[in-house]
Amino acid sequence: MSINESASDDAKDPIVIAKNLTIGYEEPLASNLNLVVKSGEIISIVGPSGVGKTTFLRTIAGMVSPLSGTIECNVKRRGGLGYIPQRLGLVRHTSVYHNVDLGARVGVSFGEFGLSWWSERNKRVLSCVEAMGISEKIREPVRRLSGGQQRRVATARTLAQRPKLILADEFLSELDDDNISAVLDAVKAYIESSGAAMILVEHDINRAKQVSDRMLVIDDGRLNPFIEKLTIQEVKF
Amino acid sequence: MNRGLNRLLLGILFLLILCYIVFDDLVQGDWGKIDGAWGRFSDFVSEDLLPPEWGMLTDAYYDGCTEDQAMFCSKAFVGMLETIKMAFVATILGFSIAILISPLAARNLVPIWVAVPARIIMAMTRSLPSIVWALLLIPPFGLGPLPGVLAMTFYTIGFLGKFQYEEMEGVRNDPLEAARVMGLSRSEIAFNVVIPESSNSLLSQLMFMFEYNVRHGTVLGLVGAGGIGFHLMFYMELGLYHHAMTFLIVIFLVVMMIDLLSMGVRSFVNEEGDVKRPSWLMTLLPPNAMFSNQNQDGK
Repeated sequence: MSINESASDDAKDPIVIAKNLTIGYEEPLASNLNLVVKSGEIISIVGPSGVGKTTFLRTIAGMVSPLSGTIECNVKRRGGLGYIPQRLGLVRHTSVYHNVDLGARVGVSFGEFGLSWWSERNKRVLSCVEAMGISEKIREPVRRLSGGQQRRVATARTLAQRPKLILADEFLSELDDDNISAVLDAVKAYIESSGAAMILVEHDINRAKQVSDRMLVIDDGRLNPFIEKLTIQEVKF
Repeated sequence: MNRGLNRLLLGILFLLILCYIVFDDLVQGDWGKIDGAWGRFSDFVSEDLLPPEWGMLTDAYYDGCTEDQAMFCSKAFVGMLETIKMAFVATILGFSIAILISPLAARNLVPIWVAVPARIIMAMTRSLPSIVWALLLIPPFGLGPLPGVLAMTFYTIGFLGKFQYEEMEGVRNDPLEAARVMGLSRSEIAFNVVIPESSNSLLSQLMFMFEYNVRHGTVLGLVGAGGIGFHLMFYMELGLYHHAMTFLIVIFLVVMMIDLLSMGVRSFVNEEGDVKRPSWLMTLLPPNAMFSNQNQDGK
């Protein structure tokens, strides 16, 4: 059984360390997964449908227990982990402000900001909403926004949280090229400035290339480094 | 005729036969009282109930109104207003308490050892109908609206609470998961994710409960717990059904108005385009007719 993405010894400031992980629900979907994610990295996980990309992400997020192996996430419990699920996880009947504020709520603590805690939270919401270009929709219920706008709300919510690790499941789908650049620029700027990391599940290989520093493919039940020269068909998509 | 419809009709036929067997056992084969019942009922409606005695709604009974405002001091108006007030207070009180307890009963929010006691508390308040609560509360609190309000409040907590936690358990999983991963606490998830996410149904249930309490408020009046039911009982006991009919019409109109109000309130939180601005017609027509009506308007 191959070691896929080695847990290298020279990893500085690792945020995620997964060792010999077997993921799945009752039956294993993929096994012997090893991964080290360092500060400032953006990693894409690609692979055909049903191989366990989302399950891998959910396992890192702590929503699914690994069937075997260990996973270590060096982030604080409250606010340290940002998650954008495939269906975005927005509260649809409330406003954009409310949704982004959920992120700011866990990102801004009274202990850190004292009495200016409330205004800092408000400032953070407004700046993230503005960075995502949805300021004019701030009072709109999320359910009235287009799919692309909703993705920007989910991204703004995660940025307002200022997490150390962002887990995103196909969060760029439904966005046109201009919007992808705008969203990516904001996310990359945050990662560069904060030293956070991002693990992104992406179905579209070209988009994953555009986004990430490293690409890994879950193929044949294992996590392999993505080989540039292979086409989609050659990696059995 | 398609197979689905055949099965449905067969199922209904089976259930009707079952009902016949059970009911025949209930009346021990004596169906004599059903003979001529329809004739007696139509006689009762045409002779005893109609026409309504409008004086109950137009003539001042209580002091304090001028002649042109007599309706506002009539027995039907004042009684109905009292019932609406009782139902309003009981619904809001019951809703407020239930919305605090129901997140503790939702299995997707709390562990089972918290959910079970919360459910038991709500089941206890729900196990007695509000009329039985009223009968239990009249001796300590005396006749009047107070035991009525308390009775309806208790029942509302149990009844609405069950609806609420079931609704909360049915919310989409992805906002819950995102909130948990973010690190929001259980109470933050309950009040900032789950309750807003199920707000449409919670509002609908609240309005249903208000309507239910208005209707039940009339029944509570029958046992002396105040409101329009008190007058209804009084005239029915005297056999003055023309008078009672006026109260029944007023109750029907008020229930219909609450239904309209409910549609209006829910339209604020519904999916865009699902609910158009409500009209009187929409409260009377069945949903299919309503939608075909909208389509004809090109909406």
